[in-house]
Amino acid sequence: MATVIHVENLTKRYAATTAVDGISFDVAKNEVLGFLGPNGAGKSTTLRILTGFLSASSGVVKVDGHDVFDEPATVKRTIGYLPENVPLYPEMRVSEYLSYRAAIKGVPRSSRRKSVATAMERCLVADVAQRIIGQLSKGYRQRVGLADALVADPKILVLDEPTIGLDPNQIRQVRDLVRELGQERTVVLSSHILPEVEAVCTRVVIINKGRIVGDGNPAQLRASFGDKQGISLDVELLGSQDKASLALQRVEGIRAVQFVRTEEDTVARFTITAEPGYGVRERIFDAAATSGLKLLGLSSRSMSLEDVFVHITTEEVHHSEPDGGQA
Amino acid sequence: MIIFAQVRRELLAFFYSPMAYVLLTSTMILNSGVYLFILAFATEPGSQETAATVLQYVFGGTVFFYFIVLAVPAFLTMRLLAEERASGTLETLLTAPIGEVGVVVAKYLASLIFYGLLWLPTALFPFFLSRQVDLDLGPVLSSYVGTMGLGAMFLGVGLFCSALTRSQIISVLLAFGASFGLFLLGLLDFVTPSMSHDSWTSYLNLWSHMEDFGRGIVDTRRLVLYGSTAVFFLFATVQVLQARRWRG
Repeated sequence: MATVIHVENLTKRYAATTAVDGISFDVAKNEVLGFLGPNGAGKSTTLRILTGFLSASSGVVKVDGHDVFDEPATVKRTIGYLPENVPLYPEMRVSEYLSYRAAIKGVPRSSRRKSVATAMERCLVADVAQRIIGQLSKGYRQRVGLADALVADPKILVLDEPTIGLDPNQIRQVRDLVRELGQERTVVLSSHILPEVEAVCTRVVIINKGRIVGDGNPAQLRASFGDKQGISLDVELLGSQDKASLALQRVEGIRAVQFVRTEEDTVARFTITAEPGYGVRERIFDAAATSGLKLLGLSSRSMSLEDVFVHITTEEVHHSEPDGGQA
Repeated sequence: MIIFAQVRRELLAFFYSPMAYVLLTSTMILNSGVYLFILAFATEPGSQETAATVLQYVFGGTVFFYFIVLAVPAFLTMRLLAEERASGTLETLLTAPIGEVGVVVAKYLASLIFYGLLWLPTALFPFFLSRQVDLDLGPVLSSYVGTMGLGAMFLGVGLFCSALTRSQIISVLLAFGASFGLFLLGLLDFVTPSMSHDSWTSYLNLWSHMEDFGRGIVDTRRLVLYGSTAVFFLFATVQVLQARRWRG
């Protein structure tokens, strides 16, 4: 598939800190890319460089074949951008604001009314078209910001934390909208909320301390980090804790056995970390039978993206510099 | 065109804020007060004043005129960039394809138009005078040229100050301070009589510039000073906005 965004060795240094440290990635056409990372990881900085609001210290950013630094106006015409915290002019009316935004984005006068109407309809703000932005709820304002990003019908949407500060219903609406938009254009969004990225994105780039620490679709990320971390099992046995843990420790392929305290004395419950791809569950069953323990429950826990995320972003802490600047 | 859409938005923004109405009202009261006072003085029996000198007083013959010319541009421009920066809308503005130059030019043009609007009511003074007495319109027009020229210069200074800070208060104080400093520098011309008439202080003496304009003398050197100062500050404003991209 065609590459629409090409980022190579992008670095952004501030006076004392390095916010983005030599990251490279490509975004293909019609991909929905999620930028995932804890606060202060360099997500917003990267998106701001992508949209031409900030300049990189070094590295190359090309959008649709145009260099952001050399041809900023062309790039800005290609991108619809929703900044973090959705800055709007509170004194303007919704339709008036969108019409002004369409005008400065170069939408010709003849089609402006239609562009504004379409954007308002898609983002479900048509019912507040004549309201003053400053009097709208946070959810509506967020969607006015989205409508602004959409109004000139850009090839690429860049959304910085599009659901922050919304209630669960509004979050669902925005996610549905983003997913729908992603079917016909390229979307890059940032988030520190995992289920969001998992629900919406076709590909995830995990960024921490200004560096990329994971890149792939959610399933791939789970698989690759799952291998490293091993699989995780919940086991329940009828019998005493000592006897049961002794029996489990003898099973081949098990890395760690952790006792989980329960209220019933007769039931021993464990969380087990095992080597992947060993057939561990069968051997646990056999081991329980040979030691005269009755197996009450055995289930494998599938690793969530959240586990992956927590795992790699905390692992990195040991060998990285102090905090990477702005979020 | 993109710039006109921005100029339109900036003009509307003036009228969204109460500031516009306060400025319109206060300049109108101040100008009318000066006009009526001088008119009353000029119509006293035995007065030497003519209709032409009445207007000369209104346009540059009193401190009130300079107060308006120095303070109003500072107030008009204080919001223009400082507010965008403080509220974060600078980010949406500068990621639209309009560019730093477009933003600065549009904001400047809008403030210049609004400044012109503030002086529009004063057109009533020569209008009523000309119905009563014979009035040469040449000096009237050149007075307006001078008034707009000074405004054009100080609006440039003000817009630059607004780019330096996110605080509107700091912006207005900086702009007024810088403009007033420039004005005082020119007034040195009056207290250094030993200097020749072509000294640098006379080049900056805005008070005597307005006296010339009031007599119908349009000296292009004055216009070059106003124009080049404005362009210099607009250029500096663009530089400040572009430098922000590197600092973040």
